[in-house]
Amino acid sequence: MSTLDIRRPAPAFAVSQDLVRLAYRLLAAGLICLALSLTTDAFLSFANIINVLRQASLLFFMASGLTLVILTGGLDLSIGANIALSACLAATVMKATGSPWLGGLVGLGTGTLVGLVNGVLVTSLRIPAFIATYGTMWIIHGLTYYYMAGETIHGFPPEFRALGSGYLWGVPVPVFLMVVFLAIGSIFTQRTTYGQQIYAIGANPVAAHLSGIPVMKRLVLVYAISGAMAGLASLVFLARLNSAEGDIGDSLTLPAIAAALIGGASLFGGVGTVSGTLIGALILTLVLNGMNILGVSANWQPLVTGAIVIFAVWIDIKTGGRSSEKA
Amino acid sequence: MTTPTTKTFVRSLLLGAACAGMMAGAAHADGETIAVFTKNQTNPYFLAVRMGADSAAKQLGAKVIHYIPTKPDSIPEQLSQIEDVIVKKPDAIVFIPVDYKAMVPGAEKINDAKIPVVNVTDRSAGGKFVAFVGADDYNLGLATGRYLIKAMNGKGNVVILEGVKGSLTSIDRVRGFNEAVKEAPGVKLLSSQPANYQRLQALQVTENLLQSYPQIDGVLAANDAMATGAIEALDGAGRKALVVGVNGTKEAIDAIKAGKMLATGDYGGFNQGCLGTQTAIRALRKEPVKTEIVLAPVVVDKTNYGAYDVPLESRTCAPYSMN
Repeated sequence: MSTLDIRRPAPAFAVSQDLVRLAYRLLAAGLICLALSLTTDAFLSFANIINVLRQASLLFFMASGLTLVILTGGLDLSIGANIALSACLAATVMKATGSPWLGGLVGLGTGTLVGLVNGVLVTSLRIPAFIATYGTMWIIHGLTYYYMAGETIHGFPPEFRALGSGYLWGVPVPVFLMVVFLAIGSIFTQRTTYGQQIYAIGANPVAAHLSGIPVMKRLVLVYAISGAMAGLASLVFLARLNSAEGDIGDSLTLPAIAAALIGGASLFGGVGTVSGTLIGALILTLVLNGMNILGVSANWQPLVTGAIVIFAVWIDIKTGGRSSEKA
Repeated sequence: MTTPTTKTFVRSLLLGAACAGMMAGAAHADGETIAVFTKNQTNPYFLAVRMGADSAAKQLGAKVIHYIPTKPDSIPEQLSQIEDVIVKKPDAIVFIPVDYKAMVPGAEKINDAKIPVVNVTDRSAGGKFVAFVGADDYNLGLATGRYLIKAMNGKGNVVILEGVKGSLTSIDRVRGFNEAVKEAPGVKLLSSQPANYQRLQALQVTENLLQSYPQIDGVLAANDAMATGAIEALDGAGRKALVVGVNGTKEAIDAIKAGKMLATGDYGGFNQGCLGTQTAIRALRKEPVKTEIVLAPVVVDKTNYGAYDVPLESRTCAPYSMN
């Protein structure tokens, strides 16, 4: 699956093949669910499933944008820092103006702007993605820490809080958004020329360039999308937590990268799907949920998390969900 | 180490500090320079320490330079900052190690450079200090836990949200919480889970705990950020529980004012900054200092938040007292 024939319009059976892969990938998540539902009654309830989905949504927003970057063979290490800056600026504007719309716009705008800067650094200045986004991560961290100076901004209008803690037809708004972005992301990557070009760039950038794909423009686009999704995540974060502080993103970047990779994306580019990333985010969330519900001691939690992540990917490789040499 | 040797040791240290003070006094007619080391720029607690240090220095006519790792709690970065500071030779150092064990070599480097140093907040596992200024995390956890249990009329179910695993503050606060729970036969500890002092993790952990326990009456969080995360989870689930945190941050005070949070154990960041800096300056000026200051635990609730409900900028240090 590493070589992708981009001239071929996606035929109907390609979808079913994707579905088969997705089903394999779901196996690991399914096994975790099965184990949890056998050991505790609290796990398999409607309320807890909704709970897990809502918790996974934040990780998914970050990881799905990041997936596009990883598909091109790049990386975005700045998303955690980006979330912190976007959240703090959005919070400031919302506090000053009382307008959730203006605040939301600033959050999304800041996120996208940071993404664009990353894109320009990677394309125009030809700085390797790891270094470019590692650099912007520190710059943004620095700006945010300096701006916030250890303070916390909290208390936002209820109509804004609905974005994180509200419900739409019985479904939490973040879960609803997650489904929407899963659909958009999947269609964009699998069904549009843009999406197929992104896969092609990751599989072989030189060949992609020679076949007339505007590589630079597409790269700027994926970094901008990654930034915009970080901006969205920052808003959901604000709405859920009702407060912003300088260090909120610090611990979020690595799990987002892990979610994409557990979901089948490859750091070498060209491989991965947005739906796979959702499963990666779900697996990471399920592990925490399960450990909390079972009351696993703090001493064992890191060990259990690591073991389950490795186990999940091993199942995936074993059952043929991914090609091991590319993973 | 036996007590007499400790005493001699402290005395000789004080003498050393005093000598350094005289020399410094000659060199800096317009005030001593104090280097203040804190752990990060992100935790409001250390902001309070820095403000306290600034206030103390201003009152006493000294100058403060702050050293904060750009990467929060970075051991290598604080170590290299110590190396830089030794070259610049401030008159004294107020030192919060980012890690109480890993920074011992850093403390020893300061000792080798013969710069008097006051240890604040996290008690260093080694090195020689003019004095230690800190709060007792165990007693603070115990007092805050007891306060919650009293408000619960001594019965009900509680959960504990732990801080960063392996950090002294978390270990001791949680030990205090556990002791308070043990004292109350009517209180059942349902679960003690880590949320790493992070708001988002606390929110998610609490959401998960709410799934498995239909009745949670109290939440003991090892810091205020986790307490507010837990409050959001409770609100979101439409459940009610009494929540306490530790640190006495502005946000916690606002939550107490709004009736959403029961209480917070004050860790006294501002006071620790004041006392640490006052101790350093007094030692330099050959004035007597206490070698051990441990702040008494204070639980802030709706009856006494007034003193904490002022911006840090407008707070000033209380005068140093030998009592």
